[in-house]
Amino acid sequence: MRLSKIFYTRGFRTFSKGFFKENTVCCQLLGLCSALAVSNKVENALAMGLGVVFVLIASSFLVSLLRNFIPSQYRIITFMIIISTLVIVVDQFLKAYFPLISKQLGPYVALIITNCILMGRHEAFAAKNPVSYSILDAIGNSLSYTYSLLLIASIREVLAFGTFFNIQVMPANFSPWIVMAMAPGAFFLLALYIWLFRITAKLQPEKEM
Amino acid sequence: MLGILRRILDEAEKIIKKTPILKNFFPVFEATDDFFFATKKTTRFAPHFLDGIDIKRFMSFVIIALIPATIAGVYFFGLRVLLVIAISYAAGGLVEVAFSVGRKKPLYEGFLVTGLIFPLILPPTIPLWMVALGASFGVFFGKEVFGGTGRNIFNPALVGRVFLSLAFPEYFATMWQKPFWGGLGGFVKFMPDSITGATPLINFKSTQDVATWPCLLMGNLPGSIGETFRIGIIIGGVLLLLVKIAEWRISLTYIASAFIVSFIGHIFLPESFAPPLFQILSGGLLFGAFFMATDPVSGPLTHQGRWIYGILLGVLTILIRTFTGFVEGVMFAILLMNACAPLIDTIIINIKFKDIPQVEEA
Repeated sequence: MRLSKIFYTRGFRTFSKGFFKENTVCCQLLGLCSALAVSNKVENALAMGLGVVFVLIASSFLVSLLRNFIPSQYRIITFMIIISTLVIVVDQFLKAYFPLISKQLGPYVALIITNCILMGRHEAFAAKNPVSYSILDAIGNSLSYTYSLLLIASIREVLAFGTFFNIQVMPANFSPWIVMAMAPGAFFLLALYIWLFRITAKLQPEKEM
Repeated sequence: MLGILRRILDEAEKIIKKTPILKNFFPVFEATDDFFFATKKTTRFAPHFLDGIDIKRFMSFVIIALIPATIAGVYFFGLRVLLVIAISYAAGGLVEVAFSVGRKKPLYEGFLVTGLIFPLILPPTIPLWMVALGASFGVFFGKEVFGGTGRNIFNPALVGRVFLSLAFPEYFATMWQKPFWGGLGGFVKFMPDSITGATPLINFKSTQDVATWPCLLMGNLPGSIGETFRIGIIIGGVLLLLVKIAEWRISLTYIASAFIVSFIGHIFLPESFAPPLFQILSGGLLFGAFFMATDPVSGPLTHQGRWIYGILLGVLTILIRTFTGFVEGVMFAILLMNACAPLIDTIIINIKFKDIPQVEEA
């Protein structure tokens, strides 16, 4: 009885709403550029997703902490400085420990700076809410970005390379779908996912928030 | 005979309307009914239609025009072609039925033509599962997501073909087969022996060889299933132009502009531009000009727009053939111009009605 109460607290709702109804990629359509570009392999998607998780949580924490000290007319540039500092940390970390993945991701790690999810969450949530809720919101949204990326990548990698997480899953005579390794394949898959998410969201009754 | 069929269908209609589960499949029944009997609707108010031609008769004429090319395809590439056509119909039709049941709308016959055109533009060695994949993909992303028959921006058959050729380029680059020639040909064989030959366009790209025009007309050269027998395509195409189902402005300007561009190009750069007659008779240009560019849904609707559409199609086709890594440009040219067709129409209408003052919206 007590455990089920947790589902109705504000914290849990903040955390969970990003997962399905307000899924960052498939419903809010944020961060599409990177979702199309790095979702060709599961490992790339995972690296990118974890990068965003780290940057979003840390920057949400900082923004929320400093929210009363940031003058509102300079808030965007302050967010940018915080985000870019953290992105450089992620970029250098990947270069040092995972040089191969860093090479495959190319400029897209640095482009996390311009990812709309970060700016959107800061502007809409972290700049107005206390630290604890901001962190929950950041965790929810960044994880929803990561899992959307993984959903796209898991189908693309299986069809384009016959592998999953670099392990061969398809039979040897499988002819790879080269279109899935290119951007058009990602567009088609993303369109399908958006369709699915919207249909299922429509089927659910509207809840009073 | 027809009376009995009518009575059976009427009985079936009564049963279907009564049972709740079967009600969902009413569109399927309606389509079967309409296939055999023309619509019973009569126009009660002006304007009256004197001619009973509707989408269905429209489609059946295109099918009739495609018959020579189809028979030639079977003759050249064996009885497997029939299997390919059947699979294309089954896979695409399944998607179509699923959508019409889901949307509770009547089943349109638009797929009758798409399902036949699609296999005709595939290479003869295509694996059967790819046919199913391409047909369902073309119908889904080329047609149904835009709202079904009559609302598609792109030609569904070409969408499926482009998807396949991007996904599996090896089947569209090296797997061409030499057709049967002489005697009963492919009517008694399942598929050609594994002798691969290059299409005339590939030959030109690599060695500047130009096939002779009688060979190209007769079609005993490698190519897609339905595009090699050019005499049949011309006969079918001219039939469509005569009954005014295909738009002559598009077909003629397409062929003429392709001819002129390659004529000029061949004078200045004979190595990269093939001679004009060869350009027109090779690849899918004739097939595209008569059967795919003239698609009334995805092409422009104004007459002036059709002139522009045809001219740009020809220019694009020759440029893609000459200056890109692709040997055939018809498919990309038509899809690109499909995307531009609404824009052309808008520009034409704006120019034409510039002087008429716009009605202010209330």
